[in-house]
Amino acid sequence: MKQPYTPRPNSNRKFVGGYRPKIDAWEKARGKVEYVDDITLKTRFPGMLYAKVLRSPHAHARITDIDVSRAEQLPGVVSVMTYKDPEFTSLRPTNAGWTDGVDTVSYDRKMWRDFNDRRVLGDYACWVTDEVGAVVAAESEEIADEAIRLIDVQWEVLPFVLDPIEAMKPGAPLIHPDMTQTNVLPPEKMGGDDVFLNKGDVDADFAEAEVVIDGTSIHHNATQASLDNWCCLVDWTEEKFTLYSNSFEADQTRMHISEMLDLPLHKVTVISSYVGGQFGRGDTGEQPFFLFTAILSKKTGRPVKFRHTRRESFHDSRQPSIYYGKVGAKKDGTITSLYFKSIGNTGAYADHSIFALKFAPLEISEVSFAHIPNVKLESYAVYTNKLPACMMRGVGNSQFNLIFGHIVDLLAEKLDMDPIDLCIKNFGHEWETLPDKSLMEVLRQGAEKIGWRKKRNKPGQGPTYDKTKKRGVGFSLHPAWHAEWQEVRRGHIPISIILNPDGTVILNAPTVETGTGSNTCNVLGCAEALNFLGVTPEKILWNHVVNTDTSLKDCVQTDSSVSYLQSEVIAAAVEELKKEIFDRAEPVLKAKSKDLDIVDGRIFVKKNPDQGLTVKELLFQGDLVPIVVTKSKLANAEKTGVPYFANFAEVEVDTDTGKVDVLHLVVINDCGTVMFASGAEAQQVGGQVMGMGETLTEEIIYDETTGVPLNFNFIDYKIPTIVDMPDIDPILLEIWKGAGEYGACGIGEGTLTCTPRAIMNAIYNAIGVRINDIPIKPEKVLRALGKV
Amino acid sequence: MPKTSKGTKKTIATPPTEIKIKINGCWHNFEPERGDITSTMTLSYLLREKLGFTGLKVACDEGGCGACTVIMDGKAILSCMMLAVQANGHEILTIEGLEKNDPIVAAFAEQCEPGYGTALQCGICTPGFVMSTKALLDENPVPTMGEVKEALSGHICRCGCYAGIAQAVTHASEKIAKKGEVS
Repeated sequence: MKQPYTPRPNSNRKFVGGYRPKIDAWEKARGKVEYVDDITLKTRFPGMLYAKVLRSPHAHARITDIDVSRAEQLPGVVSVMTYKDPEFTSLRPTNAGWTDGVDTVSYDRKMWRDFNDRRVLGDYACWVTDEVGAVVAAESEEIADEAIRLIDVQWEVLPFVLDPIEAMKPGAPLIHPDMTQTNVLPPEKMGGDDVFLNKGDVDADFAEAEVVIDGTSIHHNATQASLDNWCCLVDWTEEKFTLYSNSFEADQTRMHISEMLDLPLHKVTVISSYVGGQFGRGDTGEQPFFLFTAILSKKTGRPVKFRHTRRESFHDSRQPSIYYGKVGAKKDGTITSLYFKSIGNTGAYADHSIFALKFAPLEISEVSFAHIPNVKLESYAVYTNKLPACMMRGVGNSQFNLIFGHIVDLLAEKLDMDPIDLCIKNFGHEWETLPDKSLMEVLRQGAEKIGWRKKRNKPGQGPTYDKTKKRGVGFSLHPAWHAEWQEVRRGHIPISIILNPDGTVILNAPTVETGTGSNTCNVLGCAEALNFLGVTPEKILWNHVVNTDTSLKDCVQTDSSVSYLQSEVIAAAVEELKKEIFDRAEPVLKAKSKDLDIVDGRIFVKKNPDQGLTVKELLFQGDLVPIVVTKSKLANAEKTGVPYFANFAEVEVDTDTGKVDVLHLVVINDCGTVMFASGAEAQQVGGQVMGMGETLTEEIIYDETTGVPLNFNFIDYKIPTIVDMPDIDPILLEIWKGAGEYGACGIGEGTLTCTPRAIMNAIYNAIGVRINDIPIKPEKVLRALGKV
Repeated sequence: MPKTSKGTKKTIATPPTEIKIKINGCWHNFEPERGDITSTMTLSYLLREKLGFTGLKVACDEGGCGACTVIMDGKAILSCMMLAVQANGHEILTIEGLEKNDPIVAAFAEQCEPGYGTALQCGICTPGFVMSTKALLDENPVPTMGEVKEALSGHICRCGCYAGIAQAVTHASEKIAKKGEVS
């Protein structure tokens, strides 16, 4: 029997923070919610066609000639288009990282505007699977597939490179020679120089420091693996352009379509509803496949559906990074300098690479290393012929944590100090003095739950179980992201509340529901704010379809922050709703607004509480027109710092077989305010599947001689199942508090950030040998133990 | 009719001119000649793309994730790994065929016991888990946790709600037992 969390004292919340089902749980459990791929029957879109795109079989190649005549003759093929068609040659080059989803941007203002390295259907392929050359629209997917096979392509096969270190060397094959004469992405304005933070003087400090330690860590190509294969349906008629997509953003996609296809915004409709898992796939929404599907729709005059197969859905990954870290400290454990250098394998296209390599570490430094006088961060993003890589449930955070937790563990061992004490002594943000209250409590509770003091032996020195097995414990910590002040770039966050005459409520708090539970947070936040009306969550309808024609701008599911951002606006909107109710009650109750109050849905005159009526009575006496309040608000810019989270792990390593079993995971998040406890715990527990998977079993494997990825499927890309997962204890805390009504922070993405390093430190604690590249497969353990 | 290399007619069973499949209690007739079913069509394709039973999902199309699970003659099967014609004469149950207040659906929907999270987040894998759970509990109404895990080991939940799912199965088992006592 597990225990519920303890809310902050005197919080007196009725709905916010509760344990309850998700608002869409029944529909989902019954299979009733509709994902885009569930638009299957042609009765709904008469004449619907299916699109397929030619994909490169080569890691690096250029098309020198293409003949589509055999494909065109295949019965059932409606249109074959190639890179030579003016519809494609006229399109501007683009990238798949216009924005990180936080703000809506235009073509000229896109985040990584220096890296327009993607063509929408070009003649040039940079990785095996790249979309190039030709697209087909046919009466069925089977016919479209066959037509693709009938296209005769002449390839100029080019030399390729998969390893970023090799790619950096002079003479390496150039991935984007038209843009840059080196594979290292040139420094640009957004990310800054190669050395993008240089506080104090690390070199001088390393020369003088009492203790200096360094190490490396390597993170690999784990992939998002959303079960909902990315797809879209476009119906582009003369009057209107309509896109159904399972991208996690609607407003930005509309802007992307408008800018790329030169259509006015009011002629573009983007509709997004339920999405079967996002996890950062595709970085954001600016994908070429929306555009070539659209162009096929225009050409054929019919609705066209395009969906990725499972193999094709391996089109994005976490960015593999090699990190070097160095720390200087005093003998008492005071850290005086930190230096991190990274080389990121950005893959075939730049997308958001710089975000992962520079933005995320910079933010972490701001909120965790504020009390360390010398900090230097340096990074290089390198093009290779691997699949493009960046966002995956976090953006660079997991990779950074892998080295950060490593350096902490190394230094603590060198100083013969408990790493928990070392962290509390050093890490915190500039707005508070050390020690950080949030960090202290997070680590204290984690240590207690895992049995830190009892189970932690000297590395490799613990007892042996079943003759060959050794156990160990480890942890890693990270600052949470994001609090409200980090979301200011999002701009105005609009919502609207409709109060029906019968007292029920329609909440328009648009965001694409990807499973995160933010919709339930919104409803709970709304019910809490409407407590004076006696509204319960069951009386609130949350609009689940984002339709850019009729919805307000959607709040994009990034930074895990939708869970509270919209609720903050709702709280402000409710004040206006209350005012509107009083205005309507004034003539009926013959009293001024300021003299009225409302409790449990009954409006009354303060001085004479008997003189009153219910809101329902008021509205039913009148014109029965619902009260509508629309409100938008910027995020609160007050700098409040962020709280902390940590993961603790206990593992058992079989020294004979090299197999690692995770026995227990503890996930501790200081949330500020828990908006929806069951949802938050689902994020904490659920994130461990991805975190443990990428630590132990998940890995994309390439044939090094051809560059062909070998395991783009769920049989060979090993995602943990119910039998693989250990007991997980989620712990929710409310220590830190941000600005605003709720002062919550995002937790979803971060729940797995520390998992790999926590497990790795536990493995070291168990066997006394460090393995610093994930995934940690049995052969690596045996090699480290000198057994192979 | 395929012929051998010698040009003589090979004796093989005549393909049926009509395929009958009972889906959620109703017999459906398909005629290969009419093109509404083909010899290469998977059962998942027939159910989703031809008949609109979209509760089952096709996420991998190769038996690696369990999202397409339906029940055939009482057993959980992967509908992406079975040809539609193989279901000829058999009885298929999809999630749409469950009763409105099915105790397993209810248990998955309602799971919010502290410490385990919900039994679903994005929900795309859920119908598959529900159908495997139904097949399990129909045969073994009070399974051990080991049996539950084994029965669900072919399913992937990328949101990672396995702990909540395990609780839901336990609660479903309790609900069914309770229902049995009442009736």
